[in-house]
This record gives sequence, C-alpha cells and structure tokens, in this order.
Amino acid sequence: MNKRWIRLTAIVAEREIRQRGRSRAFMVSTIVLLLVVAAGVTIPAILAHSAKPQRVGIVGGQLAAMTEIVREAGHLTGTGVTVVPQPSLASAEAALRSGRLDVVLADDSEVVVKQVSVTGSSGSGGGLASAIADVAGLSKLLGHLPPGAADRGVTLPVRGLSPPSASLSRRLTGLFTVVLVWILISAYGSQIAMGVGEEKSNRIVEVILASVRPIQLLVGKVTGIGILALAQAALMVAAFLGLGAAVGSSLVHGAAPGIVITGAVFLILGYAFYCTAYAAAGSLVSRQSDVGAVILPVQVPLIIAYALSYTVIYADGANVFYRVLGFLPPTAPIAMPVLYAAGDVPGWQAAISAVLVAAGTVWMARTAATIYGRSILRTGSRVRLRQVLARGEAA
Amino acid sequence: MTVTSTAASPEAARFEVSLELIGLNRRFGSVIALDSLTFSVPPGEVFGFLGPNGAGKTTTMRAIFGVVALESGEVRWRGEPVTEEDRHRFGYMPEERGLYPGMQILEQLEYLGRLHDMTAAAARDAARNWIKRLGLEGRESAKLEALSHGNQQRVQLAAALMHDPELLVLDEPFAGLDPGGVDDMTEILAERARAGVTVLFSSHQLDLVEHICEAVAIIHRGRVVAQGAVADLERGDRPRLDVRVAGDAAGDWARQLDPGVASVERADSGMVLLTLAPDADSQKVLDAARAAGAVEHFSFASRRLSEVFRDVTGEDA
Repeated sequence: MNKRWIRLTAIVAEREIRQRGRSRAFMVSTIVLLLVVAAGVTIPAILAHSAKPQRVGIVGGQLAAMTEIVREAGHLTGTGVTVVPQPSLASAEAALRSGRLDVVLADDSEVVVKQVSVTGSSGSGGGLASAIADVAGLSKLLGHLPPGAADRGVTLPVRGLSPPSASLSRRLTGLFTVVLVWILISAYGSQIAMGVGEEKSNRIVEVILASVRPIQLLVGKVTGIGILALAQAALMVAAFLGLGAAVGSSLVHGAAPGIVITGAVFLILGYAFYCTAYAAAGSLVSRQSDVGAVILPVQVPLIIAYALSYTVIYADGANVFYRVLGFLPPTAPIAMPVLYAAGDVPGWQAAISAVLVAAGTVWMARTAATIYGRSILRTGSRVRLRQVLARGEAA
Repeated sequence: MTVTSTAASPEAARFEVSLELIGLNRRFGSVIALDSLTFSVPPGEVFGFLGPNGAGKTTTMRAIFGVVALESGEVRWRGEPVTEEDRHRFGYMPEERGLYPGMQILEQLEYLGRLHDMTAAAARDAARNWIKRLGLEGRESAKLEALSHGNQQRVQLAAALMHDPELLVLDEPFAGLDPGGVDDMTEILAERARAGVTVLFSSHQLDLVEHICEAVAIIHRGRVVAQGAVADLERGDRPRLDVRVAGDAAGDWARQLDPGVASVERADSGMVLLTLAPDADSQKVLDAARAAGAVEHFSFASRRLSEVFRDVTGEDA
C-alpha cells in the first residue's frame, strides 16, 4: 500500500462522492431522513409535554414544608405536580405500584419510585424524583446545619420498589442507532451493488481496470459512498441531538456518550463489513435488474438482527440467542448497540465484539476483492460464487 | 478531425522493440485461449494484430494490461517485465466500449486522465484539448448518453489518448465505424505512430485493415501463425505472377512451363496465377507468355492478408 495506491483509491472515492453527492436521489433522501428524525424526536416530546401532571405522594412530616419542596422540584424540572398526602408508607407504596402515584416523598428521609433507572436520572418521573430528593435533602440539611455547610449539597436516597433496569429512553436511543445502521447499510449497500453492476454492465470497468486494480476500485467505491453515508448519518445525529435538546425530548437523555460512541463504531464497522459484501455481490451480475437477487443473501443476517432488536428494546433483558448475535460479525453491528444501550452488556464486551467485527470486516474485504476481481470482467449469465472461489478459475 | 502531434517520447524511437509478448499461455476451462503466443511490436509503426473472432486477441490485450491473469509467459516493455507504472503510460480502448453514461464528458475524461497519474489541472487541460480536437467544443458538460453514437466513440478514443500514452492498444477500433470514422481513426493511429508511439490494434477483418498497418501478427487459436511487414507477407516467400495471354482462356501455355521456373496455381478465365520457383527469373515466364501470344497482363501478384491466413491455417479468416 504505497502512496500511489492510496492516491488512486482516493481518486475513485472522490468521483463517487462528487457524482452521488450532487445527485437528486442523495438530496431527496437526506431531506426525507431529516424529516423522519425531526418527527421522531419532536412528536413524542410534544405529547409528553401535554401529559397530565405528575402525582406526588407525601408521607409524614410537615405537609406545608413538604408540599413546598415538591413544588420547587416540579418548578426546577419543568414538570406539573399534584401533591397527594398519604396516610402511611404502605398505602403510598401500593399507590405507586398501581400507578396512581408517580413519586413518593417519605418522612423527609427518602424518595420512593416504582423503578430506579440504571442511569439514575431519567425514566418515568425519574427527573422529578431526583429533583425532589435534591430539594428535600437540601432543605433538611439547611434545617440542621449552620449556613455554608450545605454547599457540598446532599441528596436523599431514591429507592425503587422493583429492581433497576436501563431506562426506556436509553433503549429508545439504542433503537435510533439500530434504525440508523439499518437504513444506511441497506440504502447504501444496494447503491454500491447497483453501482458495481452498472460499471460492469456498461463496460467502463475494463477501461478503469487497465490502470487501477480491482481492490482499489472496490475500496475507493466503498470508501467514497461510505463518507457520504457517514455525512448523512452525522447530519441525522446532529438533528436528533439538537432538536431533542431544543424540545426537551426524553429520547436525548438516553444519549449517553457511551451509547453514541458504540453506535458510531458499529455503524462504521457494519457499513464496511456489509458494503464490501454488497460490492462483491454486485460484481456477479451483468444486468442491473439481477442485482436484487444477489444481494438478498447478504441482507438476511441484517434483517434477522434488525427484527429481533425490537424484542430486546421492549423487553426486560435480551435472551441468550440475541446475546450471541451481538458477537457474530454479520449481526453484531445491529445487535451490539442495542444490547449496550439496553444495559444488557458491559462496555468491555462491546469492545470485544467490535474487535471481532473488525476482524470479520478484513476477512470480508479480502474475500470480496477476490470475488470482485474474478467476476467483474465475466459477462453474460450470472457468475456463480462457486466458480469464482474455485482455485485457478480466475478470469 | 485533425490531430496535431504532441510527440509522446522522443527517446521512444531508440527502442527497436518496445512491446514484447513472450510465450503467453492462458486457458479458460477446456478452451485454450493463448497457446505460447509470442510476438513483438516496434515503436513508431501501426501494428495490426489480426485473426478471426475467438482467436485470442482480446485476451492478449487484456493480458498486456494485467486485467487477465496469465498461466505462464511474460509481457515486456522496453526490455523489462511490464510494471504497474508502465501501464499507467499505456492507453487502452477495449473492444467492449464503455464509459459512464450519466457523467459529463469533461469530468469523465479528467477522471480517466487522473487515473493515469495526471494532475487534476493537466487532466482538465488535456480533456479540453481533446474535446476541441474531436469537434465536441461546447458540449463539455453534456452527459455521455446525450451524444450521438459516433461522438461517443470519439470520447472513447479520447479516453485512451488523454495521457499521451507511450503504448496505444486498441481492440477492434474500426468496428462499427462509418467510412468517415474509419478515415479519422486511421489518421489518428498513423499520426500517433509518427510521434513515436507504439500502436497496436486488433481486427478480425484482415482485408479491411491491411492498408492501414505497416506490420502485423496474425493469430489463430491462440498462436501466431504469420507475422512481419505487410509488404513481405503480401509478396510471400516466393513471388507470384498474374499473367494473361490473349486467346488462351484455359492458360494452356503456362502448363508447359518448366517446374524449375514456375508452377500454375490456378487459371481463371485466361488469368493465370503462377508461383515462381526459388531463384527463378520472372522474365523467363514473360518470354514463354510472349511466345504463346499477345501478353495482355503481366504483374507480380500480391496476396491479401486473408489469403495469407488461409494459406497458413487452411481455414477462412
């Protein structure tokens, strides 16, 4: 891989970016995707804001002071609150379980919610609960300590009635990642396959192969289209975060840096893994109309992982099968961001999976380059995979 | 179209042989495409690579560019095994024409120039020059698919010439051209050869191109069956004569010739085709003809390249 190798590959990539970047299809798809993201972020947020105020139960202590604490916390978090005095902690907990109450402030000593999220900050009524805990803790401290001593701050413990799990918003951020990976790989993957099929069917490829090796053409094409895909993805993420913050969407609260980084890493790896495979598939056909048939086998693992992702996002914890998918290179780009976002796997497992996918991508790129190089000049009927992979049958 | 010389490399002429193909072998399944194919091409000449369809011409040309892998054999350029760097100074027009139909022609030519180690600026200048020379000025931003078939062919040729190649390889450049297009192509090939470029083109129509090339290699089933200067091949190793004697439709006079002087190949309505014996004097034949009657026609016969092919292979080209 010398300088010339890289320069020629870059020229190929540059052409892809120029030709596709200014095509109408790219502009239209960018606008449509942005609108989808905007709608996905703003509509739930608007609905959430119009939701009924949170019902806060109060047990023991001084009613007026505790009502003041809850009001202040509601003010801080921008949540409407209704204070409901409770006769005992037991009845308050029963009301929490049945959903008649969202948060309970008990005896100046603790805050109780139905379920504490892993991040501890969000979830249903989570923002309010921690604010109540903060404000109540502060006021308790101010009552007992000399002024100035409270600067370090103090917070009442927040207790959950059921064991903690990753918040729904974290899961939804995971879902956003999966949808992004899925859309980009399937949209750009078939574009790559079509592009390769086009070069083969209109025979430009022989002119180009006279000065560029097949691997350079393959890498240049996948890189060029990949840069466009990532630019589009970055735009969508920016819209997601920007709009989400502007409308105070709870989706964005889940976008912890870890989830964003994991999503980005698997987006790039998944793209590289699949798009080299798509390019190889595209090189097998001579007519663009045959592209659909050859890319189907490439899409299958992606579809399986994608479909199963929804069960993980909306269930308590992933099953073993899905966890295995999280470590297989073809399915990991979809499955692992979900597992990680849902809090089902720790970061180091995500890192191992990323290494496995990277290794799988290198293998895939080499295999794809072999298939591509051997089939790109064979025209006529569709080239059989067995033919091109058999030794000594290069053409 | 007029093409002015931009001279590829003044030093090119000092190489007696620039392109050498040595013992190329390649088979596809049970089909032998190249069978120890060997020939060499000198610079500064238009060299024809001729043979019937399926003889192995395209495979040979692809092998020059490394697009087809060889089982054995070597392609040499200026005395050394050909390298990737050499290939960037070659120009190629494949048999299956192809460019990006939806790409603007200026950008397209610029792109192909850059793939041959030109800078973006140099490639743009060359693309503009070629577009002008090919009479396509004002259409720089037209998409290829918007051009007529003939103009698309011109762009294809420009794509091969963009980087002023030292070796020009054209696979069936005359196929599908109208007579005007054939003349333009001939002119460009001759002009490039005069500039010192090694020009190799293929054709399956032997007789159509025999006046275009100075030297040829004729191949059949992956082997070179005849090669050399066209003039030599047309004369053959033994000169032949066409003679007509008035009043002798059967050519009986010729059948009485001494076999040590000449032998009859065929006689066709008075015109007799004779092959001279080695070292025989053609004037003895003329004497015999005059003795038989009034000589209406007496000339050295030249063989067409298709006849050369038939003579060596026993098959029609």
